[in-house]
Amino acid sequence: MAAIAVHQFAQCITCHAWSPDHSMVAFCPNNNEVHIYKLVNDKWEKVHVLQKHDQIVSGIDWSVKSNRIVSVSHDRNSYVWSQEGPEWVPTLVILRLNRAALCVQWSPKENKFAVGSGAKTVCVCYYEQENNWWVSKVIRKKHDSSVTSVAWHPNNILLATTSTDGKCRVFSTFIKGVDTRESKTGSSSDPKFGEQIVQLDLSSSWTFGVKWSPSGNTLAYVGHNSMIYFVDDISPSPLAQNLAFRNLPLRDVLFVSEKMVIGVGFDCNPMVFAADKSGLWYVRFIVTVIFYTCFVTSIRFLVLFSRSFIRFLGERRESLSGPKSGSQFSEAFGKLYGQAKHGLSNDTVEPSKIQGAVHDNCINCIALLNKKGSQTKRFSTSGMDGKVVIWDLGNQQDLKEYL
Amino acid sequence: MASTLRLYLTCIRNTLEAAMCLQNFPCQEVERHNKPEVELKTSPELLLNPVLICRNEAEKCLIETSINSLRISLKVKQADELENILAKKFLRFLSMRAEAFQVLRRKPVQGYDISFLITNYHCEELQKQKLIDFIVQFMEDIDKEISELKMSVSTRGRLVATEFLKQF
Repeated sequence: MAAIAVHQFAQCITCHAWSPDHSMVAFCPNNNEVHIYKLVNDKWEKVHVLQKHDQIVSGIDWSVKSNRIVSVSHDRNSYVWSQEGPEWVPTLVILRLNRAALCVQWSPKENKFAVGSGAKTVCVCYYEQENNWWVSKVIRKKHDSSVTSVAWHPNNILLATTSTDGKCRVFSTFIKGVDTRESKTGSSSDPKFGEQIVQLDLSSSWTFGVKWSPSGNTLAYVGHNSMIYFVDDISPSPLAQNLAFRNLPLRDVLFVSEKMVIGVGFDCNPMVFAADKSGLWYVRFIVTVIFYTCFVTSIRFLVLFSRSFIRFLGERRESLSGPKSGSQFSEAFGKLYGQAKHGLSNDTVEPSKIQGAVHDNCINCIALLNKKGSQTKRFSTSGMDGKVVIWDLGNQQDLKEYL
Repeated sequence: MASTLRLYLTCIRNTLEAAMCLQNFPCQEVERHNKPEVELKTSPELLLNPVLICRNEAEKCLIETSINSLRISLKVKQADELENILAKKFLRFLSMRAEAFQVLRRKPVQGYDISFLITNYHCEELQKQKLIDFIVQFMEDIDKEISELKMSVSTRGRLVATEFLKQF
């Protein structure tokens, strides 16, 4: 696995999303704008700037079938952007929130989208033809803190959320007139809107980055206590598996296949988790240096499962700063200043790369890049270092069995 | 003595590395606000357990973490009254220039001599590793600086006394 493309778009990126054909990428450069870049002659060019929000944009999602962008921001608003000719036309969505919106996702059928918010609520929005606007239905009084992430089940009804109260919850979002009867889950679930199907209280700290597996059988989310949770069999008595790792906590996860999950976070390197035939999840490490990988394999035992192992696919290059000398404050002071990344010109001598990795700050967003019909699995990550990196899983022989 | 200092600083460095996992997080209580949670302390679930690292009674370091900010408070060694006054004056001098240091807090937390406040914005702009280096270097240097100041004060005192006594 290697990073096949690295693009420095901005100083810091809060989130990114790809157009249906992957020729364009939309991201927020840590301000109130959404920038859309297009690949023209192997070069990324800025084609649109969506300016409507007045605070930092916290979530972007680009729908695959209908080619619409939904963006949410800390200013409590959400816009649905649709392309009309060369322009992107915004439609304001009244979320009825009184705090910041934090995350957004289109439902699989793209007739609804869900917004998690700092008001401890989740808004489920749908389009009302007769009034020609987006209507928001709010799930209230279920969360004890901000909702950090939302994820739709492939059946278009179930919605999983994570929150800073350390819990992961699954709700039914059946809306009369929008969802049809046959699309609801099995006979056991009550299709009432906002009903809590299950509450998972596995983490002792904040939870982030919830995702469903492609089939919707497994749910994965991460805790700020450097743990990842896999939950099978979403019902009142679910089957959960907790996995602890020794690195810094994760921020987001992505199911590449039923048996493989990529996690990204404060460690600046994507981590791979894979399930064996019996369904037990393992940690696998990927530490890749751009365009070359040195294989240093060592097997170590990890906590929790006696059968779990940890593997380093690349060697981390720790650059140790030389012995400190001198007692002047100005030195330490200059040190802090010398590396402030004001401006984007990186032709000056770069400060020693601390981790020798592709990303050099927290990764906070991961998206799947799957071309129809192609076998190679690709995904992209973006982070606080302002880079969007595209990774390819195709050339990794030992991971193939999990794809 | 030097080895205990190294252990103390390594412990702080490792704690900071784990604690400095910050993200942008808007205020849950006040509309359209975004404030360091470690200062406001309005939502207890957004705070992590504070870590207190002590080298001895006189020297300690308190690290308080929240979802979007981190506060480091230091207590510097003060063996006698002279050191006490030197440390007070010197740290006051630095605190008054807090905006030049970006991460320095204008007022130390009660019971401590100097405090730093690191928010998610600092983590976006600055490199985490260098930020930690700065804090550790600062702690390393402050002791040296104060003993140097103490030395120069007593040297000057001796000089003045010699000059004064010459006339008799």
